[in-house]
Formats: sequence, structure tokens, C-alpha cells
Amino acid sequence: MSGGYVSRVNVGWVGVGLVVLALAILLSPFVPDVPRATLFLFENAVTYLLFGLLILGLNLHYGWAGLINFGHVVFFAVGSYTAALLTVQDPLTGVGLGLPWPVGVGGGVLAAVVVGALLGVSTLRLRGDFLAVVTLASAEIFNQVVISLEGITGGETGLLGVPQPINDLAGGNPSTVLVTTVLLLAGLLAVVYAAITRLTGSPYGRVLRAIDDDDQVTQALGKDVFSYKLNTFIYGAAIAGFAGTLHAMYIGAVSPAFYTVEVTVVLWIGMLLAGAGNNRAVLGGLAVVELVRIGTRFLNDTFPGAAYQFASFRFIVLGVLLVAVIRYKPEGIWGDADRQGVGTE
Amino acid sequence: MGLAQNVVFGLVTGSYIAVAAVGFTLIYGINDMINFAYGEYMTIGAYVGLLVGFFLPAGPVVSILLVIAVSAVAGWLVARVFFIPIKDTGPVPLLLTSIGVGYILRYLIQGIAGPDLRFFEFQQSQTFRTEALGGVFVNTNQLTIIGIAVLVFGVTHLLLTRTDVGLAMRALSKNNDLARVSGVPIDNIQRYVWLLASGLAGLSGYLIGIQRAASPFMGFNQILIVLTAAILGGAGSAYGAIAGSYIIGVVMATSVGVLPSWATELSTAVAFAVLIVVLLVRPGGIASAEVREA
Repeated sequence: MSGGYVSRVNVGWVGVGLVVLALAILLSPFVPDVPRATLFLFENAVTYLLFGLLILGLNLHYGWAGLINFGHVVFFAVGSYTAALLTVQDPLTGVGLGLPWPVGVGGGVLAAVVVGALLGVSTLRLRGDFLAVVTLASAEIFNQVVISLEGITGGETGLLGVPQPINDLAGGNPSTVLVTTVLLLAGLLAVVYAAITRLTGSPYGRVLRAIDDDDQVTQALGKDVFSYKLNTFIYGAAIAGFAGTLHAMYIGAVSPAFYTVEVTVVLWIGMLLAGAGNNRAVLGGLAVVELVRIGTRFLNDTFPGAAYQFASFRFIVLGVLLVAVIRYKPEGIWGDADRQGVGTE
Repeated sequence: MGLAQNVVFGLVTGSYIAVAAVGFTLIYGINDMINFAYGEYMTIGAYVGLLVGFFLPAGPVVSILLVIAVSAVAGWLVARVFFIPIKDTGPVPLLLTSIGVGYILRYLIQGIAGPDLRFFEFQQSQTFRTEALGGVFVNTNQLTIIGIAVLVFGVTHLLLTRTDVGLAMRALSKNNDLARVSGVPIDNIQRYVWLLASGLAGLSGYLIGIQRAASPFMGFNQILIVLTAAILGGAGSAYGAIAGSYIIGVVMATSVGVLPSWATELSTAVAFAVLIVVLLVRPGGIASAEVREA
């Protein structure tokens, strides 16, 4: 696998290059001119790249260590909300400390790590499906708490006025913002991808695989299974928290509507469809699911029936996809047939 | 409102949660499955109740029996299509599939019935009030719900202890392999469990509908509480689930009395906090079920 190793390192450097390019465009007077009609492509690319960060972490959890995390969106949300609470200046409703944006990024990641550690400690020693219960529940509860604590979080509306560093540097030009955001996020995704493949390609990754296959044997071989699981869980949570802070600072706001269980469902479908445990494949799977979502959005004009029925129809499509993948293609399209995907316990 | 009043509310909540939790825990015990679509099984019961009330205005007894019967068959059909074909793949695919099925059912119901709340015309409610214990009131609907729940526990207890099917269910729940080699007809028993659990879920949804209203997300809003009650009681234990439900019900209701006003919407969060504490301190719950990794 030495050839693969070299290419992994290169992906990391490509990522660094993209980040530098994005910064160079932002700091120079150059204004990238993008046709207006293609702007929506860039907007979807931003969503895809942010979800890409999420799915890499989720795949580290489930695909590599076998941790059934069905509340990944909670780390994304915790990162976003922490960043917003730390950085928003004089909000109309809710609390904002008005600190500089790097503090928001750091605080968001830290908060996601703390939540990940709490959930991990309480469930990673139990049967695998209990982790799914607790993570799914925590995502639901987070939304409920955020909506209830209106005085702090702004309730249903959320918090407005999160600093947007890219927007500020770009002088508010929408096409510069979109182009540089996409470049920056693509660069960060490449760096995270390189780091994760480096991790999973190392002896550490082999231990995770072993835990997924049989954690008693792994324990008997002297590996501290619980601490491997907990650390892996925290890594994925930290990446998701980081993605959350980026999301808040791209949109300039946080709101409970961004962080629903739908995010988790989309990630899981993307991961299972492609083949859990394959870092490159899950990014492809996510692309497929995103294309389906964008595609069904365009059906709106021809859909007979009320708006809520169309919304219901799109959710049903997602549910059917999830059920069908588990039943008919549990190892995924690009998955390792020997590992048999979801069926192995 | 006084503590006593909140305890009354807690007993009502505990009653419909317990009816559902018994079914949930039976499915867990026998199919080794955490069924996240179970909340939608409850929603189905409420909407069946609405349809029954609309098309055949029968008395409450007939309505309730119809709700149980139709929900039982509907739930079993869902299981027949989605869960039974993959029942040998282990708990994880079943759990993930149930999340997808819950999604499908939830939005199917919303697509057909619309997102609005729908109210029941049950019996005329009459309120009893006492000034003892600082003023407590209870109405006939609440008493009906508690009464039905107690009746359900009695029938379920007799079913599990006095009938062959019930004995086989308990045997399967306790030791699947031993039951299998002893000649328990597993497929039949699993079908009965699905029917029984779905009927209980439907009844629970109907009771919630009487107490409040029916909406597409009503079951989903309850599933975490039902699940917490079942785990608190010891996953797989029907009696534990009943005890767990009343504990959760009373804790949620009294916490509303104690918490400041902005936090009164957080009763599910309170249930969740209970769940985390239970998992940390005593993951086997009241009945000490085995949930650590084998």
C-alpha cells in the first residue's frame, strides 16, 4: 500500500495549497467573476464540503471502529452554537459575548469534544445499539433545549450576526465569498481526509478494525478497547464541531432548523450506500445522496399536491433509501465484500 | 400547582407510557431489537381511533377494541415487510432499518393526514376536585386512561403467565437458543409478539390522543420517553417497563413543578437525563437486564 501512502500525503498538500489559494484571492484585489447562473452550484458545493467533513468523522466512528453514532448532527450543532454564543455581538435576542472569531472556532471544537466525551463515557461500554439510542436522543434533546432556552439561544429564530470573516475580507462580494469559501472548505476537507487516512492506515487503524471485528479478542491482545473507542469517538466529534463553527461563520447565523435529524440520516445513507470504512467512497456516497436531494428539489414544480406533501415525499424517499441500502446492499457500492457492511456484529 | 396535582399528572403520563413500554420491551426481549419506528406505531393507533370515531360512532369500549385490533394488524404488516425478512442479521441492521421505517411512516402519515393537530370527540369529561392535599383535581378522561392501563397490565400479566403463548414468549425472551431447541415455534411466537406489541402501541397512541390530540409527530415525540422507561425498567422486562414508566411519568411531571417557567418544555430532556444516569449507574435497569457487551 506504499503507493497509496504517497498519494495520501499529496492530498494533504493539495489541501494546504487550496487554503493558501483561497487566502491569496481574499487578500488580493482580484475578484473572481462567476456567472450568476452557476452560483447555486457553489452554494451546494459548500453544503457538500461541510457534510464531507461530517461524514469523514462519522465513517471513522462507524466504518472503522463500529461505533453506531446516530446523532452525529449534535456535534455539528454544538460547534455552531458555541461559536455563535462566543462571537455574536449585541444580539437582538439571546446571548453573544462578542469575542473574536478564532475564539469561536476553538470554543466550538472544544465544546464538541466535551459533549463527545460525556456521551462516549456513558455508553461505549454498553451494547452497540445503546450508543445509537443515546446519540439519537441527544440530537433530539439538543434541538429541544435550544428552542426552549430562548433567552440564551434565540429559540426558534436562533442567533444572528455571527462574524463572517470571509465575507468581511471579500468586501461582501457574493461571488468572491462563494468561490473562496468553496476553495477553503475543499482545502480543509482534503487536509482532514489526509489526516484520517494517515490515521486509519497506521497501526491505530488496524486496532480500530480489530475492535470492529471482535473487541473481546482485541482486549485479550492487550489493547485498551474502551480508550480506543472513546478517543476515536472524540476525534469524529471534534471534526464535526469544527465543521459546525465553519457553518455558523459561513451563514452568519445559527438556527435549530439547520441541525435536524435529517442531517444524520443523509450522512448515514451516504456512508452505507458507498460502503462504510472506505474514506474515499463515503465522500462519493455523500455526493450521490446530495444529487438526489438537489434533484428532488426541482420536482417541486411538477409535484401534484400541497407543499407539506412534497416535503413529506422527499423525506419518504430518504427513508426508503436508508431501508433499501441496509437490506439489499449492506456492504455498499464500493465497500469491502469481506466485511459485509452492517450485517457483521 | 401542588406536588399532589403533579403526581396525578405523572400517573396519567406514566399510564400511557407504560402501555407502550410493555410492547416496546417485548419486541426488544424477543427480537433483540430497539424499534425506533415504535413511536409511529403509536401514532397509527391515534389516527385509527380518529377514523373509527368518524365512520362508526360506536361506544368507547368498541372503539378501543377496534383500535387495538387494527393497530395490531397494521404494526404486524409493517414488521412483515421491513423487519421480519432481516431478523437474522442482528440488532444493528434492525435498529437502523427501524429508524428509516419510522421516517417513512411519519411522513406518510403527514402526507396523508396533514400536519395539523386533530382533536378527538371522546366522552364528555367530568372533573372531580378535592381540597385535600392543597387542592387536587382529576377528570374522567384521566381516570379512564389510568383504569385502562391497569386493565392492560392485568391482561398482559395473565397472558404471560397463564397461557402457552405467554410462556413461550417469556422463554424466548430469557434464552432464545434453549427455547428453540425445546421446540418453541419461534416464527409463530414472534408474530404474536408483533401483534401484541403493535396493539399496545396503538392503544397508547389512542390514549394520548384522548388526553391531548393526534398529530403526525406525536409518537416520535414519545419514543424517547418510552425507550427510557423500558431501559430504566430493565430492557426486556415487562414488569420493569411498567415500573420504569411510572417513575419517568412522575419525575417528568414533578420536575415541571420544580423547574423555572422557561424550562417547563424540557420534560423530554429530563427523561433523557434520567436515561444517561441510569446507563452510567445501573445500565441493566430495575430488572438488571444484561446490556453490557457479551
